[in-house]
Amino acid sequence: MKRIGKWVFFVVFILILFFAYTSVFGIYSEYGDYTITHVKGIQDIRWGIDIKGGVEAVFAPADGIDATDDQMNAVKSIIDLRLVNQNVTDYELYPDFSNDRITVRFPWKSDEANYDPGEAIKELASTAQMVFRGGTEADGEELLTGKEVKRAYVSNIQTQNGEHQTVVNLEFSSEGKKKFADATSKYLNQRISIWMDDTVISSPEVNSVIEDGNCYIEGGSNGKGGFSAEDATALANKINAGALPFNLKIESYGTISPSLGTYALTAMGIASVAALCFIFLFMCIMYRLPGFVAFIALLGQLAISIMAVSGYFTVFQSFTMTIPGIAGMILSIGMGVDANIITAERIKDELWTGKTLDGCIANGTKSSLSAIIDGNITIIIVAVILILVFGPANIFSALFGVSTTGLIYAFGYTLLVGVIANFIMGVFASRLMLRSVSGLKFLRNKRLYGGKKKS
Amino acid sequence: MRQKFHIDFIKNSKIFFCISLGIMLVCLVLNIFLIPTRVDIQFTGGTIVKYSYSGDIKEKEISSVAQKATKDTITFTYAENLASSDSNSHLVSLEFTNSKAITVDEQDQVTEAFTEAFPKNNFKVEESSSVDASKGANFFFKCLAAVILAAVLIIGYVAIRFKKIGGMSAGVMAVVALVHDLIIVYFVFAMFNMSLDDNFIAVILMILGYSVNDTIVVYDRIRENRKKMGPKATTAEVTNASVNQCLTRTICTTITTMSAIGSVLVVALIYNIDSIISFALPMMIGLVSGCYSSICIAVPLWVKWKDHSDKKKAEKEQLKKSAKKSSKKPDEDKKEDKSDKKSQAKQTEDKSDKKSEKKKVSVEK
Repeated sequence: MKRIGKWVFFVVFILILFFAYTSVFGIYSEYGDYTITHVKGIQDIRWGIDIKGGVEAVFAPADGIDATDDQMNAVKSIIDLRLVNQNVTDYELYPDFSNDRITVRFPWKSDEANYDPGEAIKELASTAQMVFRGGTEADGEELLTGKEVKRAYVSNIQTQNGEHQTVVNLEFSSEGKKKFADATSKYLNQRISIWMDDTVISSPEVNSVIEDGNCYIEGGSNGKGGFSAEDATALANKINAGALPFNLKIESYGTISPSLGTYALTAMGIASVAALCFIFLFMCIMYRLPGFVAFIALLGQLAISIMAVSGYFTVFQSFTMTIPGIAGMILSIGMGVDANIITAERIKDELWTGKTLDGCIANGTKSSLSAIIDGNITIIIVAVILILVFGPANIFSALFGVSTTGLIYAFGYTLLVGVIANFIMGVFASRLMLRSVSGLKFLRNKRLYGGKKKS
Repeated sequence: MRQKFHIDFIKNSKIFFCISLGIMLVCLVLNIFLIPTRVDIQFTGGTIVKYSYSGDIKEKEISSVAQKATKDTITFTYAENLASSDSNSHLVSLEFTNSKAITVDEQDQVTEAFTEAFPKNNFKVEESSSVDASKGANFFFKCLAAVILAAVLIIGYVAIRFKKIGGMSAGVMAVVALVHDLIIVYFVFAMFNMSLDDNFIAVILMILGYSVNDTIVVYDRIRENRKKMGPKATTAEVTNASVNQCLTRTICTTITTMSAIGSVLVVALIYNIDSIISFALPMMIGLVSGCYSSICIAVPLWVKWKDHSDKKKAEKEQLKKSAKKSSKKPDEDKKEDKSDKKSQAKQTEDKSDKKSEKKKVSVEK
């Protein structure tokens, strides 16, 4: 067997310690009053509503109306708009088109002591009030309401210059047609504004009198620009929301106060530290040197798990962490040493046959690999199914719709990350360290690897 | 070969089967007659609202105030509120037992009734969840589909990877062990009167992966030893050697995993966090069951199947050669087996006990 340099152990060891430290504490620098985050630590993790406290609600069209996909998009955009108006920015919205459900989840607003989540949910589900007003002021003359709008949609037109432009088309009902004709003649070359609840969503200038009930809104301002396709779709959705022919009902909802959640978080923190301490002692006593190496690798594995959640490397998106997610992480800590235990046991077996240390380590690591791979792949199967089935958009979406509880999803995610990290650290890095450390003279005593007393 | 344990798992398999069946039977009887299974509103639909309040109020008063504010029947549960810094803080959770989700307005009515009746006690909604019955049923079937899908994929994987030792039989037996563990997990929920919720599904899926992992490590050894020990060794011999060689690993891994989940459980118990207790406790017992079922259920069953199919094969081949000699030998073997079993039964009962195995580990260290 080719020896691995003695320095390798120290390099890997220091790297793991570095990553473990920074993944927990992050790297920040202070610049005047600002704190610049270079690397995200635990405090930057986005906690789920079960920890931070928050609201989850599922909305559906009332009276069992079968909504079209366009209508569902409209519902989504109105909820979007209202959340932003309520100053909630950190929300998640999952529309389910096959079952006409829309799930919204957002954290408790920390700055409001008397925040009433029930009121917030009711507000989100209330019927959208869309009004066309003359001028751009809120007290402008009421010209039309959402009822008189048939639909809004996006299309491409060719302007007189021959350029293509994305516009939002409006169609009015027969009643709306007449009212709109009157309005456009009255406000010709002036602005009219479209109000959703208490927000202006568009305030186009009237370029001509529109009598046939079909018009379009050009984007941009002062003749420049035009809509991007996304902006146009967003506006069309909002207008459609104001013209929805049905009300929303709250199908299910849940709220958790922040005090209960942070309390659980502290508890999980204590539990994971206790688990780590126990595993450290257990591994060192049972397996001595390989046990110690296994523990270092375990720290590395934990660091990777935390990084995957906190967004340590900016290429990976940060992840909403929930209590089951933490449980998955702690479980993968416990199972993480399994690979090392299998290997250490094999090395012990080999040592008892009286071979040389290097040969034993080589044989032990080789013979244990298939069991480790087979065992871990079954866990990967389970974790992937958890992610695919309980994720926001999942393989069973067509059958069962989007999930109401995304909590299990986090469990699957941290478990999967844990297993993958285990391959990197518990299998690859710990083998590297073990082979390197076995080159150190004072660590070549077979007893350190679980061999017989006399040798 | 260094081998710490010399337990004949195959011969004692009947004892193991009896232990498992016995536990399940007792739990089943208890479940039917004494402790009915509770199903969480996540599956059945309904509403639970948890309030915190300070100061001492008679529980009866709270119940009557809440009951007056709504037409639905309410079930009340009272607890100390440990999360609060105030030492005299309490929690009351109201479960609206009709299967419909109650509206936000109805919930507000109850909250208002509380604040009116006990203005000084600072009633606050800590947690609430409300699920429509159709949604709940939908979620249940989704969970079921996930479990079945996982089981099928795992059988498939084991069947492919362990072709050499009869993949299909190995896969099926791994799943038999799984079903054993899942039943045990179910009974843990039932016996501790915890309602079946999404934690239940998470634990089931976790044990699914963990239990198969244990079984596979043993299969891996069997596959390896089959080569080493040659064709003369019987399936039972190869299997016994393999299981005993893996035993230290199985126990150690279970200990480290248990310590992780165990510390979660202990902390959750100290802080009295229900949602975590109902996750960690069944998980702990499921881990023990997973470790036990791989060694004591899956592997012996697999040997029985293997012997049975081998015997059939042998009989067929011998029938071809000569019809007379075929049937006697296997019968004699069986008789010897039985007499052996009786004499060894007492000794091995002690050995199969988990605690004594752990002690053995520490003594030899």
